[in-house]
Amino acid sequence: MAVKTNKVNPLLSRTMAALTPVLATLAALGVFALILMALGANPIEAYGALVEGAVGSPNAIADTLVKATPLLLIGLGICIAFRGGVTNIGGEGQLVVGAIAATLLGLKFPETPGYVIIPLALLLGFLAGAVWGGIPGILKAYFNVNEILSTIMMNQIAVQGMNFLLRGPMIDPVQLQAASRIPQTARLARAFDLPRLVPTRLHLGVLLAVIAAVLVFIFLWRTTIGYRIRAVGLNADAAKYAGINVKRYMVLSLLLSGAFGGLAGAVQVYGVTHRMFTDGSAAGFTGSAGFNGIVAALFGQLHPIGTIPAAILFGALLVGANKLQRVVQVPSALVTALNGLVVVFVVSSEIWRRHQAKQNQNVEIEESSTPEKEVTGIV
Amino acid sequence: MNEFDQLLKTLSSIVLQSSPLILAVCGETITERAGLINLSLDGTMLLAAMTGFIVGLKTNNLMLGFLAAAIVGMFFALIVAFGSIRLKQSQVAIGFVLTLLGDDLSAFLGQNFTRIRGPYVMKLGIPILKDIPILGPLFFDQDIVVYFAFIMVGLTWWFLFRTQPGLKLRGVGERPEAAFARGVKVNRVRYIYALVGGGLVGIAGAAYSLDVKLGWSEGHTRGLGWIALAIVIFGGWSPIRGAVGALLFGGTKALATVLQRTFPQISVVAFNAIPWVLMIAVLLVSTSDLTERFINWMPKTWRRPLRRFLRVSAPTSLGVPFGED
Repeated sequence: MAVKTNKVNPLLSRTMAALTPVLATLAALGVFALILMALGANPIEAYGALVEGAVGSPNAIADTLVKATPLLLIGLGICIAFRGGVTNIGGEGQLVVGAIAATLLGLKFPETPGYVIIPLALLLGFLAGAVWGGIPGILKAYFNVNEILSTIMMNQIAVQGMNFLLRGPMIDPVQLQAASRIPQTARLARAFDLPRLVPTRLHLGVLLAVIAAVLVFIFLWRTTIGYRIRAVGLNADAAKYAGINVKRYMVLSLLLSGAFGGLAGAVQVYGVTHRMFTDGSAAGFTGSAGFNGIVAALFGQLHPIGTIPAAILFGALLVGANKLQRVVQVPSALVTALNGLVVVFVVSSEIWRRHQAKQNQNVEIEESSTPEKEVTGIV
Repeated sequence: MNEFDQLLKTLSSIVLQSSPLILAVCGETITERAGLINLSLDGTMLLAAMTGFIVGLKTNNLMLGFLAAAIVGMFFALIVAFGSIRLKQSQVAIGFVLTLLGDDLSAFLGQNFTRIRGPYVMKLGIPILKDIPILGPLFFDQDIVVYFAFIMVGLTWWFLFRTQPGLKLRGVGERPEAAFARGVKVNRVRYIYALVGGGLVGIAGAAYSLDVKLGWSEGHTRGLGWIALAIVIFGGWSPIRGAVGALLFGGTKALATVLQRTFPQISVVAFNAIPWVLMIAVLLVSTSDLTERFINWMPKTWRRPLRRFLRVSAPTSLGVPFGED
C-alpha cells in the first residue's frame, strides 16, 4: 500500500491521497458494524437503513445536501484559516453570530421584499462572522494571543449572547403571550425563505455553498491575496522576508474564515430553520456544524473543492444515522459515536498516509498538498 | 458575625470548587513544561468524569473510580504523545479530535448513568489545624481531593524547580537539543510526563463527578478543560501561579453569582459570559506586547516586579517535535 511510485506517477499518489479517507470511512463503518452486532442489531439491516435514509429518495438526497451545506461553508472557512497557518475552532460561534445578525435584519423589516432582504441578510451574516473571526485574528496577530483558545472563548460568548437575545429582546411575542417562553424568535416572513430548487427541502443555499467553494478555490490559488495567505501559512518567516505583511494576512485569514461561518449561519436561518432557537448550548442551533465542518475540511485535504464531497459524506452520515436509529432501535447517542468513529479513523489514516509519504523520500511537494508547517506553539 | 461566617463559607466553597481545576492545571503544566501540548483536556476530563463516576458507582469504591479516571487521562495523553512524537503529527489537530471524541464518547457511554446519585468524597477535617481561625475552615476543613490538589501544587513546583529530574524535564521543553547532547532521552521524558500530566487531568475529571459537581450528565464538565488550558498560560507554566489563577477564576464565578443576586435586573447570561471574556483578557495581558510597553512606561524600580507579575513566557520548544535521529 505504500506509495512507492510517487516520483514516477504523481497521479497515483494523489489518488491514494483521495482514497485514504474513503477507505478509512469504510473501516470505521466495519468497526461500527461490530458494535451493532454486539448490541444485537443486524448490521446489514442497519446500513441498509443508513443508505436509504441518506440517499434512498429524492427527499432523502435533498436532506443530505441541506445538511451538508453548513458543513461545506464552515469547511471553506477552515480551508482558508489552516492554509493561512492559523487555527480557527470558532466555527460554532461564528455561525451563531451570523445567524443572529441575519435574523435581526429579517425581523426588523418584515414588509420589505425578499429580493432585497435575502442578499442583505446573507451579506450581514457574512460580515458578522467576519467580525467574530477577526477579533481573534487581531488578538493573534498584534497581541500574540493564542487563537485556538480565543476562538473557543468567542464560541462561548456568542452562545451566551444568543441565549440572552432569544430569552429576552428577540423572543417570539407569541411565546411571551402564551407564557411558555420557549427561547426562540418569531418565524421570519415567508417571503424571506430561500427559494426552493426542486419541490424538496433543497434550497438555494446549497447552490450558493458550491459556488462559494469554487470562488474560494480561485481566491486561494489564482489571486495574489490568496497566494500571500498560503505563503504565510507555509512559512511565515520566508513570507516576511518576501515583504508580505504577515500580521495583516493572519488577521485576514481568520476574518475570512469567520465570515464563511457567519454565512453558514445566515443560510441556515433563511434556508432551513426560518427562525432561531436555543436549548442553552451551541449545538442546539448549530447541530455542531461548527466542529463537524472542521472535520469535513480536514477530510477534504483542506482543499475547497475536496471539501464538497467530504461535507456531503458527513451530511449523509448525519441524515442516514437518524433513519438507522429509528429502524434498528439503537440509542441515539450511538449515532454521535459513529460520527466520532469516522473522524478518528479518517484522521489517523491521514496521519498514517503522510507518515508513509514522508518515509518515501521522493515526495514532491505538490501545490495542493496540505501545509507542511503545522500549527504548533500554543502561544 | 453572621455575615462573616457567610463570607467564610463562600470562600471555602471557592477553594473546593477550584481544586479539580488546580489538578488539571498542574497536570497540563507538567506536560507542557516537557514541550508537549495536550489540547484534549476538555474531552479527557469529560470522559474521565464519566468513567470515574460509573466505576465508583459500580464498585462502590472511590479509589477505583479515581484510578479509572486517571487511566483514561493517561490513555488520551498517550495518543497525543504517540501521534506527535512517533508519527510527527500536529499535536493541536490530534488534541482537538480527541476533544470531540471524548465529548461524544462520554455522552454515549454514560447515557444510562445520568442524574443518579452515586458515591461521593466525604468531608474530612484535619484535627487541630481546622480550628485555626479563618485558614482552618478555608483549607483544613475540606475533603481529601482538596488536600491532594494543594499537595500536588507544592509537589509539582518542588519537582519542577528543585530536583534533578525536574531540571531534565524543563530542559527537554526548553532546549531539547542541549538536553539530548547531555544524554537525556528527550522523547522518553516527553512520554513519561505526558502520562503523568494526563493522569492528573483524568483525576481532575473524576474530582468533578465524585466530589465537586456530583454525578454525571451529558457535557458535565464541558468548557472547563479549555479554561484549564488558558489558566496554564496565565500561570506562566508554574503550578503555584496556575493554582492562584484557578482560585481567582473560581472567585470570579462566585462573585458573579453574588452580583447576579444583587442585581437581578441584569440578565444571568451577562454573568455567564464573564469568565470567558475574562479569560481572553487574561491571555491578552499575559502574552501581549502592550503589557511590555506598559511596564517600560512605569518607573524603573517597578519594572522588575511588574514584569515578574504580569509577563509569562512559554517553554521555548513547546509543541515542537524533536527528532532524536
